[in-house]
Amino acid sequence: MTTGDAAVRIKGVAHQFGEEGEARYVRALAATSLDVVRGELLCLIGPSGCGKSTLLNVIGGLVTPTRGSVEVAGKAVRGPLPHEIAFVFQESALFPWNTVIENVQLGMLFQGVPKAEHTARAQKSLEAVGLADFAHHYPSQLSGGMRQRAALARALSLETGILLMDEPFGALDEQTRMILGEDLSVLLARAKKTIIFVTHSLGEAVFLADRVAVFSARPGAVKKIIRVDEPHPRRPDFVTSEKFTRLRNELYALLHDEIRKTVSESAP
Amino acid sequence: MNAAVQNFLGRHPGVVRLGVVVLILIAWESAARWFIDPLFIAPPSRVVASLGTVLRTPGVPAALRLTFFELAVAFAIAVVIGLTVGLAVGLSPFARRSTMPIILLLYGMPQITILPLFILYFGIGAASKIAFGVTHGIFPIIVTIVAGVQNLEPILLTSARSMGASRWQILRWVIFPHMVPSFFAGMRLAMTGVLLGVLLAELYVSTAGIGHFTTMFTDSFDPTKLFGLIAMLAAMAIMLNETVRRVEIRFSRWR
Amino acid sequence: MTRRAERTQRIGSRAVQAGFLLVLLVLWYLATNRWGVNRLLLPNPVAVWHQFVDVLRSGEYLPDLRVTLTELAVAFVLAVTSGALAGYFVSRTRYAIRVFEPLFAGIYSIPIILFLPLYVLFFGLGPASKIALGTTIGFFPIVLSTIAGFGGVDRALVTAARSMGASDYQLFRYVLMPAALPVILSGLRLGFTVALLSIIGSETIASLAGLGHHIVELAEGMDMARMFAYIAFVAAIAALLNGAVSLLEARGSRWI
Repeated sequence: MTTGDAAVRIKGVAHQFGEEGEARYVRALAATSLDVVRGELLCLIGPSGCGKSTLLNVIGGLVTPTRGSVEVAGKAVRGPLPHEIAFVFQESALFPWNTVIENVQLGMLFQGVPKAEHTARAQKSLEAVGLADFAHHYPSQLSGGMRQRAALARALSLETGILLMDEPFGALDEQTRMILGEDLSVLLARAKKTIIFVTHSLGEAVFLADRVAVFSARPGAVKKIIRVDEPHPRRPDFVTSEKFTRLRNELYALLHDEIRKTVSESAP
Repeated sequence: MNAAVQNFLGRHPGVVRLGVVVLILIAWESAARWFIDPLFIAPPSRVVASLGTVLRTPGVPAALRLTFFELAVAFAIAVVIGLTVGLAVGLSPFARRSTMPIILLLYGMPQITILPLFILYFGIGAASKIAFGVTHGIFPIIVTIVAGVQNLEPILLTSARSMGASRWQILRWVIFPHMVPSFFAGMRLAMTGVLLGVLLAELYVSTAGIGHFTTMFTDSFDPTKLFGLIAMLAAMAIMLNETVRRVEIRFSRWR
Repeated sequence: MTRRAERTQRIGSRAVQAGFLLVLLVLWYLATNRWGVNRLLLPNPVAVWHQFVDVLRSGEYLPDLRVTLTELAVAFVLAVTSGALAGYFVSRTRYAIRVFEPLFAGIYSIPIILFLPLYVLFFGLGPASKIALGTTIGFFPIVLSTIAGFGGVDRALVTAARSMGASDYQLFRYVLMPAALPVILSGLRLGFTVALLSIIGSETIASLAGLGHHIVELAEGMDMARMFAYIAFVAAIAALLNGAVSLLEARGSRWI
């Protein structure tokens, strides 16, 4: 990979909350450096509290790191970059008083897309996620999986080069996760975006990612990066293949001790 | 009772409720007719029959109109003041921390104790009734609005920020729509407060309002007309409350 | 927010509150002593203070206080008994709740103080009419919260207890009461507050005795300083009573 191919460059980013000696002091993230290749789907996985969500927020400009910096498309990140980066959060963050399509259009309004394009773009992204029939429903009328589809449609309609997803399927049941994961893979094969995806699920990481960055326990740092060489869109039966199982086992081995460490640290 | 009737009643508790009300009316009717001195209580049948007479008593329709006017004006003023103060306090964390304790202190004070003061300051006319209604109405709105701003989920603000929304856009598209249900809930509570304040002031002293006639009917030991008048006022109160409630429901469709 | 900013805000808001009080007192003093505001409208704050001390020292409030407190006590006991019993029996079946709860809620939405003239007509100007009104008004929050409290008990808990062989009494004592108590207690507190307000209110409007009545007497005699003092006194009593009830509510919810 040549340096020109890096969509995101993370340089020595570390973050802590509060000052040493304070009750709320916590070193969330240890010095992390990483280059994210343009067009790849990079998964961040690690035990609870290892700082992967913090790192995502730093990349997206929502948090200023206490040390280090991030470069996106050659520019230093100093705040939200709505034209380069779109977010999908775990709690869908849809405005409950707007319908699905209104939510999508509102995102474009914030970003500054000319009004004339709103409806067409919104329709297109809703169709892409399979929610075209629910455009005029309110979020309270949708299931959890559909709400996340809507959140994804909103992010897609912003037509950014980079998509940051923070455990988007975390609140959903196993079966919905599976379907959404497969659909996401199909969608992203077409859309050609750079995606950084935080997850807890080993299977999800292997299924979706081109590379998986495994974090150590808090304060988290990248322990190892595993490569998943498999073309997109991933076939659903990839999950049953021998390669999948091997990769998943490798992840498990890397993570198990870190998870144990985290749990024993938080035990009273 | 056969199965069909039981089934019907089971699915329509409203009918049973109506039945309960009818039973109460019957009990009231018989008690008033045969057991209690007619000087003190009037049977509902006679009350209904005399409603016309009450309305034809000189001054009563005007008094009803005046009371309605006092309620409407007090409500309008209370909403305007309450909204402005509520938003000003709610949107600024510093304002909230410094002024909310003062507001809550005033809200908790038994305002009835200063009713004589209001009369001394504003006179025995409509002004004092309106003023007393306003002071009862503003506090529920302020408290409701401040609470409404506070329960906005931070993730929605983060999300809007991440999409590049400006401060004005966040106010217009995130905070304001979020506040709508709180605003209408506050209005509903304000109406209750305004009703209480205006009616308390009317009952205390009144020369042309409804209080004048309740005193008159009480002093002349005329329970029939008194019941009739109070029933009309109660109907007015129900209608006003119901109106505000309907408006609130209509504007909270997305909940 | 950082620790320093947090602390500044906290001190700052206390300063605003203290400042508000101070400015109010200063304006009041100047208005009556320097700017010639009519003493018949706004009494001298110093005079009010003297009257306040005098009221306390002379004990002239005692007979009125006794009347008001007696009315309150009787009304509250009657409201609690009727409200809790009615609420409990209604809460026993879902159907009864669906029939009666909207009825109670509907009546409560009218300002019941409207019926004061009727009570005065029936009971006279004495304490009986105040007690009757206080009971009526206090009844509703209590019955509604009792229904909500017992009605809101998680059915799973009841099923579990029954499956372990709990008797009716045991179910009530060990499952229903503890589960419903916090809601019921808050309803009792609310009932107390509205009963107190309605009693003072009815004393103000139509009475021969009581704290509310005394304020009216002072107003009619244009004894402004003493009236202000008395208003402060009554407000303080009300705050004390409400505070005590709130404390009891918190205490009661805690031993559960």
